[in-house]
Amino acid sequence: MANFHPELDLLTEHAAGNLPLAQAACVSVHMNYCEQCQRTSARLQSLGASLFEGLQGEPVGDALLNSVLARLDDEPPLSYARSDWSAGKTPAILQRLMSGDLTDLVWKKITSSLSISYLKTGDPNYEFALYNIKAGGKIPEHTHCGSEITLVLEGGFSDADGTYHQGDFLLRQPGDVHAPTAVQSEDCICLAVLDAPLKFTGWQYRWMNPFLKLRAG
Amino acid sequence: MTDNPEGTRTGSDDPGGRRTDEWSECLQLIAGSQDRAAFTRFFRHFGPLIKAFALAGSRLSASVADELVQEVMLKVWQKAGGFNPEKASASTWVYTIARNCRTDMFRRLQKFDTPLAEEDVFPDRENEEPFAMLHGRRSEERVRELMKSLPADQMQILAKVYMEGKSHAEAAAELDLPLGTVKSRVRLAIQKLQIQIDR
Repeated sequence: MANFHPELDLLTEHAAGNLPLAQAACVSVHMNYCEQCQRTSARLQSLGASLFEGLQGEPVGDALLNSVLARLDDEPPLSYARSDWSAGKTPAILQRLMSGDLTDLVWKKITSSLSISYLKTGDPNYEFALYNIKAGGKIPEHTHCGSEITLVLEGGFSDADGTYHQGDFLLRQPGDVHAPTAVQSEDCICLAVLDAPLKFTGWQYRWMNPFLKLRAG
Repeated sequence: MTDNPEGTRTGSDDPGGRRTDEWSECLQLIAGSQDRAAFTRFFRHFGPLIKAFALAGSRLSASVADELVQEVMLKVWQKAGGFNPEKASASTWVYTIARNCRTDMFRRLQKFDTPLAEEDVFPDRENEEPFAMLHGRRSEERVRELMKSLPADQMQILAKVYMEGKSHAEAAAELDLPLGTVKSRVRLAIQKLQIQIDR
């Protein structure tokens, strides 16, 4: 059960289909762990449907209908085996992005306790990456030049504002400074989506900043 | 407008909680027996709405809008078997397909190179129990009913966000309103629609 959720504004833009792909993917992963947001989202979508029904229809010619009818034979109905969706599994959308499972990823070591694996979403404005923080390990204090969404997939971490567990969704704004520390009991894997690079604030790590270029796409 | 001349549009529920309206029946006929007459009726009703949805916000040309109608209707044909009338109404089901196809279309036009389709972002979650489904359907009806009493300024912004596909920031710029005003109108509307109340 997630305790930290996307705000209503974000859920609304998500339900309307307006979020950038990388952020939309994050909200979608959160819902994998959160029935409450699933329900809110379903209602936000029925709000969209209600507006859709009220649209002033635009004329569609018979030619279009006929060309669709002519193509039906080439588009056989899909069969619907019930999917084996379950709350505990790695969300399907992530599996697709990782083309496999967490164990198949290539990790790039940043500090002794932090490794990063970059995933390609195709969204040109956002970096979409998985962070692996060793149990009890700390990410050096850093600030955000842009927005950052963090979503816990495994384990947990804490910072000055709280402790976060599986499914928890955090949105950091430019200028928020923090130093997340993984829980002691297990490694923490989380998803981090950025639209501008992180900046380490401590003098020991500041030299790394020029290397933390945004890897969008 | 979109009112059906035969007046068969209004849904009603039988005591078993099954939805019985024309469009759900069409989808079930399409799924059950690949009924082309039902598909044609469905097309004539929803095709114009899908086209209007494609053109809202004027980001797509008329020919691309026609392409979107085709794409959505072919999906309707293929996916009708996955429609569950106990979970959502036919129009909600079609709307989500149209929204997904439109977003994919925007990304194609921007030459996004992505392994994801919008269907991956909005997967069909099949874990729902009958009670949860009934609950979901009821809140859908409630949203629909409460929509009728929303003030015009809130409706206008919701239409920009949902139908025109504008972000809150874009809606604010177009309506020449502060972003905070747009956000608070959206929140007020959602509060009135009782979207966050669990019952």
